Amino acid sequence: MKKLLKFIQKIEPDKEKSKLLHTIYDGLYTLVFSPNTTTKGGVHIRDGADLKRTMFFVVIAMQLAYLFGAFNIGHQHFLALGQYTEVLDGWHLKLIHGFIKLLPIFIISNVIGLGVEFVYAARRGHPIQEGYLVSGALIPLIMPPDIPLWMLTVAIIFAVIIGKEAFGGTGMNVFNVALLTRVFLFFAYPTYISGDSVWVSGLEGNVGEVYGWAHSLFDGLFGALGWEQFGAGGRQVVDSFTGATPLGLATHGGWSAVTEVYSTSDMWWGFIPGSIGETSKPFILIGALFLLVTKIASWRIMLSMLIGAALTALMMNGIGEPGSFAAVPWYYQFYMGSFFFAMVFMATDPVTAASTPKGKWIYGFLIGMIGMMIRVFNPAYPEGWMLAILFMNVFAPLIDYFILDSHIKKRLKRAK
Amino acid sequence: MIELLNIFIKSAFIENMALAYFLGMCSYLAVSKSVKTAFGLGLAVIFVLGITIPINWLINEYLLKETGMFGIDLTFLRFILFIAVIASMVQLVEMVVEKASPSLYNSLGIFLPLITVNCAILGGSLFMISKEYNFAQSFAFGIGSGFGWFLAIIAIAAIREKIRYSDVPAPLRGLGIAFLITGLMGMAFMGLMGIDPASITGH
Repeated sequence: MKKLLKFIQKIEPDKEKSKLLHTIYDGLYTLVFSPNTTTKGGVHIRDGADLKRTMFFVVIAMQLAYLFGAFNIGHQHFLALGQYTEVLDGWHLKLIHGFIKLLPIFIISNVIGLGVEFVYAARRGHPIQEGYLVSGALIPLIMPPDIPLWMLTVAIIFAVIIGKEAFGGTGMNVFNVALLTRVFLFFAYPTYISGDSVWVSGLEGNVGEVYGWAHSLFDGLFGALGWEQFGAGGRQVVDSFTGATPLGLATHGGWSAVTEVYSTSDMWWGFIPGSIGETSKPFILIGALFLLVTKIASWRIMLSMLIGAALTALMMNGIGEPGSFAAVPWYYQFYMGSFFFAMVFMATDPVTAASTPKGKWIYGFLIGMIGMMIRVFNPAYPEGWMLAILFMNVFAPLIDYFILDSHIKKRLKRAK
Repeated sequence: MIELLNIFIKSAFIENMALAYFLGMCSYLAVSKSVKTAFGLGLAVIFVLGITIPINWLINEYLLKETGMFGIDLTFLRFILFIAVIASMVQLVEMVVEKASPSLYNSLGIFLPLITVNCAILGGSLFMISKEYNFAQSFAFGIGSGFGWFLAIIAIAAIREKIRYSDVPAPLRGLGIAFLITGLMGMAFMGLMGIDPASITGH
């Protein structure tokens, strides 16, 4: 290990000669090696964690969602073809198909995002900031599996430059970068990120033709092992398969239309079409537990968002006509869509959320309320959390301002 | 009553003057450097909108329309009369603010009298005409759109206070970043666009 460290320190590029190279070197170096010191002296916190490691914990918490997301891409794909309809049938094919879909999105997300970041860091002469680690890992999870990569590229460049670098980089952004990416795609190319047909990979046209060289590569391997293979493809989508998400169904037919197609346990475990990482509730909640134990995410925001959404759904149960979306039992609202994903990974973003404890309660509660209202009452958008969180990002500084102001006034009164 | 509430919610959040129509941008960008002054200006705008729109409704209904007092179609006088009403109301606000809070009066400076030509105010009156509201509805609309504008300006003021110490690239500092924030805020408000409050309350 020491020899490796010495070797790496030896190849450090000259800062004067090549700014960009040095910035890249520095970014990768600190990712793996520092810090090796803990705080000493008269402080009470002795910890080896810094911003980079904090960010990394969030990425670790997402790993189960990644794994399940990849599997579910494949599972939905084969469901559409009417093959391997049992969950574990042909699991290796499902997993490989998922990874073949997921990996390019992941690579594009990180290469483009970090590329922009590297260029800015080099030009502005500061070390690479690590904030993009989390955004780069979140973005693939909130995309549909077949999103064209050039669109993703455009959206990421927009979000990183306008949403983050313009504000001064990591820790300064007012709006959540991952959400900006998605919202940009949503408003710029709506047909690729909403509707019924985008959430299952390979739903359009003749499925077999989309199998590429990567699939045939694995076919060779699976053939040698004697497992099932992708085969030549050329299959048609089963007639009864629509690819509609539970939310899409609920908008038109209420809860009964949802349960006709999906069972509640499928929805809970996540075997439903949707954005790549949002479907599996238990795995996201395990990530949430991890974040809460390591005290990285705020439990106040999570709890208040849950309360806000539950109360709003409960009220809507009161006024909704039977059979409408508003009348879906409030606890089943959480089975559909991306509530838990938004709650755990998006709303708790410490940079864009309110930062006072009281403010966090208000912030989370209002997200829960507004998100549920957008989901049910806005016919234009099937899901509301992305826009609700962005909406509250606007008001988070204001909430903090008034909370601080009231504290100052209280203290002043006491001083008199 | 619920219908008035619907109009209030719609004009405050869904069809926000500042962030959906981008009206009243000049004072919105110029006075949003600190929450305190933005708060004062926002209150003034609520007041002016809430008063002028119903008054303009009365003028339009009883003086200008063919069915009104003079029996001839005088609607071509709309702009002049509306602006006159707005200007006199702003004068009133100015006098009250100068008397009640000289510090706020000084920090608002020229932008307080400039509310007169704030396009959100005249825009409010003209929207009221084109949406064919009645008296009570136009009052709710005035208060609602004023409240929406007020929310927008204090929100951007808080954001600008928050990023005051951020490392914003030099060419973007000041107004440049304010324009970017406004655009992004507009994007966030698009989430509410398309909601019909009537569908919630069932009226």
